[in-house]
Amino acid sequence: MTVDTSVLPGKRLSDVTVGEQLPEVAIPLTVYRLVMAAGSNRDFNSIHHNSAYAQRTGADEMYANTSFLMSSWERLVRDWCGPAGRIRAIRGFRMRSFNYAGTTMRVLGEVTATRVDETAGGPVGVVEVAVRCEGPSGVTVGPGTVEVLLPLSGEESA
Amino acid sequence: MTAAADTDQDWKADWQEVADAIGRDFLDGAISWGGDPVEPGAIRRYLEPLELDCALHTDPEVARSAGYRDVTMPATGVIAWTIPAAWRPGEVLFDSDDRDAQPVHSAINNADMPLGPRTTGFFGTDIELDFDREVVAGERIGRRGKRLVACTPKETGVGRGAFLTWESEIVVEPAAGAEPEVVGRIRIGTYAYVPHEKKEA
Repeated sequence: MTVDTSVLPGKRLSDVTVGEQLPEVAIPLTVYRLVMAAGSNRDFNSIHHNSAYAQRTGADEMYANTSFLMSSWERLVRDWCGPAGRIRAIRGFRMRSFNYAGTTMRVLGEVTATRVDETAGGPVGVVEVAVRCEGPSGVTVGPGTVEVLLPLSGEESA
Repeated sequence: MTAAADTDQDWKADWQEVADAIGRDFLDGAISWGGDPVEPGAIRRYLEPLELDCALHTDPEVARSAGYRDVTMPATGVIAWTIPAAWRPGEVLFDSDDRDAQPVHSAINNADMPLGPRTTGFFGTDIELDFDREVVAGERIGRRGKRLVACTPKETGVGRGAFLTWESEIVVEPAAGAEPEVVGRIRIGTYAYVPHEKKEA
């Protein structure tokens, strides 16, 4: 596959500034949603869809699973960068406390660095986004880094 | 040293054989394949609870315009699409009608760990992912190897156990006779533990 996302709509490196805040994503964590998530991402650990079971393992309530939390970071970044962006790495995705059913999880991000990398396919923009999830009691996941590749604008690639 | 301290050291000592295995590949280079190839219906279901709207995952024409052969798997789907099938023909998966009975086996627990204490609590703690390229519909992915890179016994609010970190390569199933293509790497942290007993109110 020879991929060229510069034909797609979305951010270019020149559109991005360090310190930029990504539009927040709010995710109500209902039982319904967590059951849908477990069914689709195949993490059927009962702690993610069965309150009584979760409480016997020491938690207060059933809580969102790893795949769902990580994919919330992808949602945040994808909403912001559009189809032109490519996720190259996720680092520092550390789950600090549970994201319980019955709460709203906020996913937040800030651009912390930009650069141009030389690759086999030519120069490409690299953006580092610091991402975290927050619940009613503060940060629950991260902050970690999502590394996104963006096309260069015409002037940047000239 | 107090009796309590002795007990504290005893439970940590139970994890020493696991700590001694740091560096060992528990799959010995074998590949654990996901239950199914990536396909558009499963991608759609993955996107639904996220409300994640990106045409690369839903519109083959858009994906092809950028050079992909078909719609792409969401990057974070690498976890879901490398989970093995939960059941195979001929197997018994559910053998109890207890409300909260667990399946006979599951890929999402610590039950296949041949070393260390038996644990009943288990959850993920952290993940790192690196991607060399996107995975597209029609490809089947798996995890090659399962190398233990860290083991830290620790008592937490939910129980006594150990933080374990595992490392694998993400590979695409090849055509017959070819080598699997490495498309990424994953490092997963977990906490396997024995829950604290609930105190009576």
